[in-house]
Amino acid sequence: MLEIRNLDVCYGELQALSGITLDVERGRIVSILGANGAGKSTLLETIAGLLKPRSGSIRLNGKTINHLEPHDIVKLGVSLVPQGRQIFSNLTVLKNLLIGSYTRLARKSKKKALENVFNLFPHLKERMHQMGADLSGGEQQMLAIGRALMSQPRLILFDEISLGLSPLVIKMLYLTVKRINQEGMTVVLVEQDVKRSLKTASLAYILQEGKVSLKGDPKNFTEDEVRRAYFSL
Amino acid sequence: MLTFLEPLINGILLGGLYAVIAIGLSMVFGIMRQVNLAHGELMILSSYFTMFFLQVLGLHPLLALFLIIPLMFFVGYLLQIFLFNRGMQRGMEPFLMISFGLSIILQNVLLLIFTPDARSLKTALVIKSINVFGFFHIPLIYLVNFAVGILVFGLLQQFMKRTYLGWAINASADNVNAAKLMGINTKKVYAYAMGIAAVTAAISGALVGMTFTFYPHSGTQYLIIAFGVVIIGGLGSLPGTFIGGLVLGVSQLFGGRILGPGFQLLSGYMILLIVLTIRPHGILGRR
Repeated sequence: MLEIRNLDVCYGELQALSGITLDVERGRIVSILGANGAGKSTLLETIAGLLKPRSGSIRLNGKTINHLEPHDIVKLGVSLVPQGRQIFSNLTVLKNLLIGSYTRLARKSKKKALENVFNLFPHLKERMHQMGADLSGGEQQMLAIGRALMSQPRLILFDEISLGLSPLVIKMLYLTVKRINQEGMTVVLVEQDVKRSLKTASLAYILQEGKVSLKGDPKNFTEDEVRRAYFSL
Repeated sequence: MLTFLEPLINGILLGGLYAVIAIGLSMVFGIMRQVNLAHGELMILSSYFTMFFLQVLGLHPLLALFLIIPLMFFVGYLLQIFLFNRGMQRGMEPFLMISFGLSIILQNVLLLIFTPDARSLKTALVIKSINVFGFFHIPLIYLVNFAVGILVFGLLQQFMKRTYLGWAINASADNVNAAKLMGINTKKVYAYAMGIAAVTAAISGALVGMTFTFYPHSGTQYLIIAFGVVIIGGLGSLPGTFIGGLVLGVSQLFGGRILGPGFQLLSGYMILLIVLTIRPHGILGRR
């Protein structure tokens, strides 16, 4: 579904990603791990079109999407749940969700999508008319996921969904991720929570200083391998 | 008592007009964090359009607005697409420079075409006034201005509350990158917002043209009024802008009544300074 070849991304002079090659097959949960500053978020933001690669290619279902704008990439069925939630604090919960179905195609089936989101997160239905800013961290994360689902993507990218949340909420969010995946959506998880992330994914990439340092089925990783891939220790 | 009722009522009515003058500036700042120095010129450009329709076609200014509103919407939309959007990523300076340049160009084009003579839109509305209890007069045009002001603010508020585009404008103002991730083409949303701002300029241009005389360089004067209103009311807030308009209008007319006509503008800006001292973010401003 997603093929990334020799991707280089720079912030000015600073090279954030170099020579990343990565594949995401349809229907999978793929996990991307790495220490702070390894380039995980940069990778997701580049896929979503917020950053432009210096060289290399990103192909979605065979179509090159390197130079598309973020709003066009959303139309192709890719949705990013950004790091730090980034809820629209000046809109209500309901409008935050509805704006997720902004594209023309998504707008047609917004009722069904909304029902689906409220099904996943009944909590959000209760808080429908509250402002986005008034939600707790966990609720905001649910809203961010729900908002991304409203565009009815086929590929959904999660950037640090467990950051700063309680273990109970994290557990619930991971169950949701699995459920979304079982319903047929392809998932890319960027995460610092190594154990949980490796348990959920069927394919994992570990990044270090902008390069892929380990790749494979996480079941076959040894603890030593993972540590080396993380810190080169 | 009644001597103060007159500046109060006329001040409120004038404030409604000030609010419409300022709303476009306030919107653009609230949404894009940019200052459009050409807002006054867009207004005066519309005053001249209205004059053209009145003199050539004999169309009443309020009817001419039905033609000028779509026209100015496209002017605003195209200005954003072809000029302003290009400099947006590089902070505030490019936008300031572009809009300043645009204001100079517009002033001089108007000067070339219409000469520096004073103009006004002469309609039956202008000379009528309403007598209040036999004590003082309210110019009818002030009432029209205020009513149109209420209408503009009401419509804008509903538009922002109820439409996808309104939410998209709010979302882009709050967090551009997150808005892009929703599939919003933020550059296009900015262009719509600038179009709407230009529409409010068109409406205030027609009203100002009927109420006062105008010249090709009058835009600057109204830009300063708009700044006053926006600073008093709070940048980017719709209701704040309306209240800011009322406060500036009332304080100008009170100052004029108490201190003499020469102090009208000064007293308005004294209130501005006082508001800035007490509430630096304006009456309803955020943060």
